[in-house]
Amino acid sequence: MKAVGARLPRYDGVAHVTARSVYVDDVRVPGTLVAKALRSPHHHAAIKRIDTARAKRLSGVRGVVTHEDVPNNVYGHLEALGIPADEPLLAENDVRYRGQPIAAVAAEDSDTALEALDAIEIEYEERPALFDMRNALDPDAPRMHHWGGVYPHFGPHNHRRVRKGDVEWAFDQADVIVEGVYRPQAIEHCPLETQIALVVPEAGGRLTIYSCTQAMYFSLGVVAAHLEVPLNRLKFVGGTVGGGFGGKVDTASETIAALLALKSRRPVKWRWTREEEFLASSTRAPWHIEIADAVTSDGWVLGRRTVTLHDSGAYARFSPYGVTKHAFHHTGAYTIPNLRFDGFVVFTNRVPTTAMRGFGVTSVSMAVELHMTRIAEVLGISPWELRLKNANRIGDTTANRVAMQDPSTVPVTLAAAERVGEKLGPEYAAMTADRRSGDLLPEHLVAQQAPEGAHVLGNGGGS
Amino acid sequence: MGLSDSEILMPASGADAVRAFGDGRDVTVFAGGTILMPMIAYRRYPQRARTLMLGRAGLNQISADGNVAVGAMTTLAAIAGSGVEPLAAAARDVADPEIRAQATLGGNLCAPPSRQGPRGDLQAALLAARAEVRCAVAGRERIEPIDEFLAGLDAEPRLVLGVELERPRRAAYSSQRRPHAHSYAVMAVACAELADGVRVAAAGVAKRAVRLRSVERALADGAAAEQASAGALDGLEPQDDALASSWYRREVLPVLVRRAITQLGGG
Amino acid sequence: MQLNVNGVSRAVSSPPLTSLLEVLREELAVLSPKHGCEQGGCGACTVLVDGEPRRSCLLPLAAVGDARITTVEGLGAPGDLAPVQSAFHDRYAAQCGYCTSGMLLAAHALIERKGGPVDRDEVLDALSGHVCRCTGYVKIVEAVMAASRGQVGAEPIEQPLAPEPSQPEIEIAGSPA
Repeated sequence: MKAVGARLPRYDGVAHVTARSVYVDDVRVPGTLVAKALRSPHHHAAIKRIDTARAKRLSGVRGVVTHEDVPNNVYGHLEALGIPADEPLLAENDVRYRGQPIAAVAAEDSDTALEALDAIEIEYEERPALFDMRNALDPDAPRMHHWGGVYPHFGPHNHRRVRKGDVEWAFDQADVIVEGVYRPQAIEHCPLETQIALVVPEAGGRLTIYSCTQAMYFSLGVVAAHLEVPLNRLKFVGGTVGGGFGGKVDTASETIAALLALKSRRPVKWRWTREEEFLASSTRAPWHIEIADAVTSDGWVLGRRTVTLHDSGAYARFSPYGVTKHAFHHTGAYTIPNLRFDGFVVFTNRVPTTAMRGFGVTSVSMAVELHMTRIAEVLGISPWELRLKNANRIGDTTANRVAMQDPSTVPVTLAAAERVGEKLGPEYAAMTADRRSGDLLPEHLVAQQAPEGAHVLGNGGGS
Repeated sequence: MGLSDSEILMPASGADAVRAFGDGRDVTVFAGGTILMPMIAYRRYPQRARTLMLGRAGLNQISADGNVAVGAMTTLAAIAGSGVEPLAAAARDVADPEIRAQATLGGNLCAPPSRQGPRGDLQAALLAARAEVRCAVAGRERIEPIDEFLAGLDAEPRLVLGVELERPRRAAYSSQRRPHAHSYAVMAVACAELADGVRVAAAGVAKRAVRLRSVERALADGAAAEQASAGALDGLEPQDDALASSWYRREVLPVLVRRAITQLGGG
Repeated sequence: MQLNVNGVSRAVSSPPLTSLLEVLREELAVLSPKHGCEQGGCGACTVLVDGEPRRSCLLPLAAVGDARITTVEGLGAPGDLAPVQSAFHDRYAAQCGYCTSGMLLAAHALIERKGGPVDRDEVLDALSGHVCRCTGYVKIVEAVMAASRGQVGAEPIEQPLAPEPSQPEIEIAGSPA
């Protein structure tokens, strides 16, 4: 226990304050080419023709790649977990978001690389685009994903479901039904270091990949899968990242840079501009969350119905995983025994969305906390006491039926109340996280409690 | 490529700059560089035969004894510290200290509206103060009222050499600012009391800054801040852009006008 | 032309409108100024020009002339940190480190200009063009204020709160402890 409670210097602190930390852009390899990508100017279009002949002939251009050059063009990050792939590395038949890469070039300098991009001819046929996820399920919505409007592979369902207890009973018993709609919006991670990769072909046939990734082994697997090379052909160098916040788990730059390095047999660096970062890097997802709670007039939340739409952008990436986490956390810090949750991964013509600081959870936490305050307002009771009453307690089970061993809602709420000088009723001020008993184990919560000492694991939210 | 083909001229005096500018056709004037350098980085530099860099041409003096004269290459930091209101307050509003130390009066005055929103942070202050712009057109120097200068800017290239103004007796400035580098004030209102009355101008409600003549007339008729600000939107149709909606601008402009008049000391 | 970087005159041959950032990084391999946005919006490329902070992405080489350029490499080195570097290190003001170079130089210039303790508002103004996405700025502002007061290296690394047990509480086979 040398570290807990101690103030330890950062291992990289001196390097940071003397600018000795080596980020990918600081790695200097003689003869490095500059990579640039040709990105879709359209939100949604068919690609009728790609002609790179003129670009390839320009002096100073050392490599031009399109979908034809990718050994395995369509690969998904979560394929290993049984989530099928839907996103091409380089667009082939269509583009589904503005900024989607279609071709990439490596050249002696950036002016030449940009000139080469201008020399690539692409014929598009624009299609209607969809930007509002609320319209994705309309019968006349533009069809922009080959799977349809939503991601269809949640077991037998086309959405993530949670079914717990008897939600019909809860709504029959309710004194009040409190409804709310919550719509957290997309957020760009905006790391100060933009997406960047440097790929160096080594003499033995290996590629050394300097990467800004947050997820080294994800990236290793993704690059190997697209290039159809064994993992031992790739040596990843990472660990010094100029900010990520979830935005650097998507293997955004390494694969295309590697493809260009193989093509040109030269080191290739691809650093996105700030504009590219804003235009084409993934964002946190926008969500549309509808909650209806069955509530008693004295503040018990008996049941909850939730419909959530998650804007995945043009492709699935990690969204099914994010919505599953969202489903598991959709009661937040509170115990609600009767649940019906339906969460959809919706496709739109926006940039694909990804993790950001609490993937799938921050959105629903925000919705739940606003909703708890709304319930307190409707009932005219203290929002503190409403929260404490319904707080997670030892032995309660989560939405996905995990028995809680050490929930923190009660001590944290009490500490917050003390800090802001909130006076609570004596029965609330005396609460602990202990197992529910007495008045705080009302009839409707008896059945949902796990047996004492049990550690019940969920089976994936009932789907 | 626009940049590598552009011949770079670095005149050593204002007179040299006027000669080098010529009729201004096919010339990019490079003052502080805070707008042009990003255009270079993003390959959007104007494709023109010559680039006229003014960094060594002088033109960076402020004289404020009696009437005020400010050279075109005076930085916004220098204007912010000059005590010449309402110009100083408007200059303090721009971006951050590092940008203000590089951005210039001339560049700010000539900046075209950006794709994201209006630019030209000093325009309202200069309009309110009835500044006159000393500029060169086709080798000849002229002085023109700021209104005419702004109206003619797109039609005929001018090389700004400086501005001159009568120091206002009282001045006020009120703005709605986004506190971030390169984020310009969403809207600003400047007032200046001159020998013949109070002038009021607003930025951020049209492509370039405009005078609020209804407000000026109301003040001349003795209206108080509340009544005078009611006419703030007369003849204006603010647009939506990335900084703010038309609705927001309509709601906030009268508030800024009222604050500025109150700050001026009644009205 | 010659460029005076950290007290050393260096020959450079980039075209006159090349940004100082490009010249420093690509021609001279002075790597502390970072590419953050290349439009003056983030402050990651800030260097000192005659002691005053400037965005190197916005400065054309032609405008630099014989001015003295200072980068973090010229501020202090491991074992010989400038006060502001020590304060950033002591007080955990650098997280990912990418904005740190620009922050350090803008802060250093502020402290030099003031020549004594700086207050919070002065720090906020001086760093208002500098974006940090990791820290929320609190530790950065504290570090600058501490550096200006000479409170550097004064705060020792705290001892663990609990007495050190004679035996490891949990032994994991193969663990270095």
